[in-house]
Amino acid sequence: MSGIVLSARNITKAFPGTVALQDVDFDVHAGAVNVLIGENGAGKSTLMKILAGVERPTLGSLTMEGEPVSFSSIRDAAGKGIGIVFQELNLCPNLSVTENIFLGRDITRAGFHIDRAAQKRRAAELVAKLEHDIDPDALVGDLMIGEQQIVEIAKALAEDARVLIMDEPTSALSASEVEVLFKVIGELKRAGVAIIYISHRLEELIRIGDHFTVLRDGRLAASAPRSEVSIPWIIEKMLGAGEVVAKRPPAAPPGPPLLEVQNLTLPRRGQGLAVDDVSVSFRPGEITAIYGLLGAGRTELFESLYGLRSGATGSVRLGGEELAGRSVNRRMKAGLLLVPEDRQRDGLLQNLSVGGNLGIASMGRFTRFFSISRAAETPLLSQVISQLHIKTAGPDAPITSLSGGNQQKVVIGKSLLTQPRVLLLDEPSRGIDIGAKAEVFSTMRDLADQGLAIVYTTSDLKETHAVADRILVMAYGRITADLRAEEASDEALVRASTHKIDEPELA
Amino acid sequence: MSTVSATLKTAPAGNASALLLVLKLRTFIALIAVTLFFALMAPNFVSVANAVIISKHVAINAILAIGMTYVILTGGIDLSVGSIVGLTGMVAGGLLVHGIPLPMLGVIVYPNVIEVVLISLLVGTAIGAINGLLVTKLGVAPFIATLGTLYVARGAALLLSGGATFSNLVGRPELENQGFPVIGSGTVLGVPVSVIILIIMALVAAYVAQRTPFGRKVYAVGGNERAAALSGVRVDRVKIAVYMISGFCAAVVGLIVSSQLVASHPASGNTFELNAIAAAVLGGTSLSGGRGLIGGTIIGAFVIGVLSDGLVMMGVSEFWQMVIKGLVIIAAVVLDQLQRRLAANTRQG
Amino acid sequence: MKFAKTLAALALGAMAGIALAVPAMSQDGKLIVIITPSHDNPFFAAEAEGARSKAEELGYSTQVYSHDDDANKQNQLIDSAIAAGAAAIILDNAGADASVAAVQKAKDAGIPSFLIDREINATGVAVAQIVSNNYQGATLGAEAFVEAMGEAGNYVELTGRESDTNAGIRSSGYHDVIDQYPDLVMVAQQSANWSQTEAFTKMESILQANPDIKGVIAGNDTMAMGALAALEAAGRSDVIVVGFDGSNDVRDAIISGKVTATVLQPAYRQAQWAVELADKYLKEGSTGMDEKISMDCVLIDASNAEQLETFALAE
Repeated sequence: MSGIVLSARNITKAFPGTVALQDVDFDVHAGAVNVLIGENGAGKSTLMKILAGVERPTLGSLTMEGEPVSFSSIRDAAGKGIGIVFQELNLCPNLSVTENIFLGRDITRAGFHIDRAAQKRRAAELVAKLEHDIDPDALVGDLMIGEQQIVEIAKALAEDARVLIMDEPTSALSASEVEVLFKVIGELKRAGVAIIYISHRLEELIRIGDHFTVLRDGRLAASAPRSEVSIPWIIEKMLGAGEVVAKRPPAAPPGPPLLEVQNLTLPRRGQGLAVDDVSVSFRPGEITAIYGLLGAGRTELFESLYGLRSGATGSVRLGGEELAGRSVNRRMKAGLLLVPEDRQRDGLLQNLSVGGNLGIASMGRFTRFFSISRAAETPLLSQVISQLHIKTAGPDAPITSLSGGNQQKVVIGKSLLTQPRVLLLDEPSRGIDIGAKAEVFSTMRDLADQGLAIVYTTSDLKETHAVADRILVMAYGRITADLRAEEASDEALVRASTHKIDEPELA
Repeated sequence: MSTVSATLKTAPAGNASALLLVLKLRTFIALIAVTLFFALMAPNFVSVANAVIISKHVAINAILAIGMTYVILTGGIDLSVGSIVGLTGMVAGGLLVHGIPLPMLGVIVYPNVIEVVLISLLVGTAIGAINGLLVTKLGVAPFIATLGTLYVARGAALLLSGGATFSNLVGRPELENQGFPVIGSGTVLGVPVSVIILIIMALVAAYVAQRTPFGRKVYAVGGNERAAALSGVRVDRVKIAVYMISGFCAAVVGLIVSSQLVASHPASGNTFELNAIAAAVLGGTSLSGGRGLIGGTIIGAFVIGVLSDGLVMMGVSEFWQMVIKGLVIIAAVVLDQLQRRLAANTRQG
Repeated sequence: MKFAKTLAALALGAMAGIALAVPAMSQDGKLIVIITPSHDNPFFAAEAEGARSKAEELGYSTQVYSHDDDANKQNQLIDSAIAAGAAAIILDNAGADASVAAVQKAKDAGIPSFLIDREINATGVAVAQIVSNNYQGATLGAEAFVEAMGEAGNYVELTGRESDTNAGIRSSGYHDVIDQYPDLVMVAQQSANWSQTEAFTKMESILQANPDIKGVIAGNDTMAMGALAALEAAGRSDVIVVGFDGSNDVRDAIISGKVTATVLQPAYRQAQWAVELADKYLKEGSTGMDEKISMDCVLIDASNAEQLETFALAE
């Protein structure tokens, strides 16, 4: 039913230190939904960015309707009929719907006078085509997230896109908004537009996808038409075989519950709940993984536990002591510690040394008479540096001289020096290489064996099996599965991670 | 042979690191350079007496710059210090000349000099605390908050006397409030009291910055406020504290200035904040926070001070003095950028 | 007691401050609006006070404002004066060129302006322009300086802000007298920007470079006081100091023998005279004098310092 409008051959993209894509072929069929699947870090975004002109491939070629093409910029690609709807909305909240749609490509008279009337008319047409009743003059900041998504799509369509890339377009939408979006997609298909659709929601993909392409670790894992595809097939191709890290069993059985959470709820900005009535407990000596998709509420859960979200309600008890309403500082002193996900933004003090970073949360341990005692500080720092195998010239080396994995270990080491009882690690393996991952996981096991309760989040299924004793799955702010690691099948975890409250219970 | 080739190999890296060292020590080198220049060009520049005079002049700016450095280290700025100098000087002058009237008791209490000093320091520190509260609890940008207190404090200084000068602040024996001029013009073993105050404050400030948990927290807040908060640093408290330190330093300067002149003028301290910022920047403090040393700031203050005094002694006109000072500040920032770029390159290579 | 009152007002907060700042208004009598550069400088405060007291003595109501040397603010104040239906404006203006239009506007609205202290670069716009003769004053100060120096020796000159006209006029007045004596040698000339603090630090540095000075002549009294503090700190009670303005601080220093002389700009008397001229003009339609009036300055030294009080010499 369709020709290939855009095709990529032998695409390789290398970044300093890593190869994000290797030898990938990808065909985009006109008038069809071309699904791109893969775990986080599989190379989906990189491929998408290459197709949209954001990045240029290191090797390989693109052809559009038989002609070789290369895009110098996102504007260039857009001019050739490729539109993109980013996952994080790229809209200016202070501008109107119309202004956003025509940002950077205003309809002008004589080259400089903005033809507001024409723009408004066109914006209204586009929005109406998407079956939405959004005022073209409304400020984008005043719209709901779902409506903003529609504006984003309208923006992509404004240029008569022949290829439309949608990156997780439903992640912020409600069920009814998703239905509208699917209707729009159906219309676009009939109009001959090729859609590249990226999502983690397997049910959604099976429903609307026509052609499936699976990426794994930067390589093409499989590619097949709808007729040959099933959910188990996708999961198999997506995950492949083999373990990341050799799993080590716990040294001792876990103790009685240490951190007990009751009815923890956190409202989302705008509407809905980021954390929806979560009750769970964690035990010392046990490693718990929290698996979930982006936006499932894992980070929000951690931040609520750590006292960073003032809107959170519910009870958090550590060793019987109620922590709800307490400051970060008090929770830290009680023995709860969060290792944040974004270590550049939330974890590291770029201006301090390795030692300065390690010690910042626990200066009380080496303060004598209001002063930092070098004699008391040095052995502590050396101990944690050797315990975590941090590769550094010494405590006085600048933090910026360390590799990503070692920087991550410094952030963990900083937490350890506070002598925590419960360690919350948000995506501890994000952005570090495979060897460093193994060391970080091994460290987590050591700490659990020393009697800490370890809880970490991950979006990587292999990493859940690799270390965790127990796996929780979060979706839409709720815990949708709580399984022993050995009982958790990949399929059960993936299904639980896309499990929506208003859908029937899945077995 | 092997040694020769080894030397050859390391030569380029050696040059880069030598250049880096020169850039790192640029403020100190600049200080030596201007001193040598004036030693040759200005009459009577090299003398113990002149060194004492220059130190006395530098003390005023350097003490302000110490407080300013703390504020800038957290990523803030304090524009109100000049006005606090004026206000605290006026408070001290007013207390010495007019005392504290207690109308309900029908008496006027004249505090002694120690009490005058303490009250003035308290006033300066309190204004600093207000700055800190505005910045943290009310979320006002530091530039705006301290710009506001700049005007308020200056206005208050003018209101205290209706714009007039409190002069002849020597105190009266019958009121037992004599001795105020000692702060500005007294000496201990030939060293002016104000210079001794500077030395003590600089040593304490450097120690606190480098060797105490509070100092670490100041750097942490300036380096990455979010990360510091997640590590349990009470960011608000640290910020309030640095503005209080800055207000305290400004009060010390207010006392020194009015004591030197034996008079307090409400306009005194005008634009002092700019000199203090200049000294901190010249000394290598980064305005984006997290980077800088008290020692650097002191050297920066000396560069500015030696430059100003030397040019006056050479008889250079006021207009040229301003041009030269501006060029030195720009050069300092350009060299700072150069050093950082070079340091980044050497690390990569 | 003023200090105490203000302390209390500050403590009570802005409300009290506003209450103090409300101008005195009387319902009967014509209005005279008095605009001076600032109220925090005693010199301009004396101007405002002189004009206000004379106007009220003559039965006028008054409004007193300051333009802070901001021509724009001055313009707005003139607008307000026109709107308030002022009978006359007494103005110490915010700039010789920048003020012409504002004064013209008042004239067009039928309000006569009487300028004091500073001239504008136009004639026929204001009814009268009374200025102190800064040049004549400077020569008076210089003559006293030359005499005290015994017509010989090294000296230092501290000038005002270099961009200020009066700084230049005073300096040339000094030099036209002093330069006639070849044995008087100026070893340093620095601008201290009218500031006491700056005069202090610069004087200290100059003393280092030139310890052998015998006298200091300053462009105003504030700088003279700064220089005096530096000289005292250096233990140099032998140096002759001459200032300009006639402030109370310098008066006290003259009485105690620390300063030789200063030159009084009779600010208080000048403002009173302007009001008297305005009164005459409003009643008779003419001041009976030329538009440009030069008012001579008075030398203040040990002989008459006792009679000086806030820029007014007792008669």
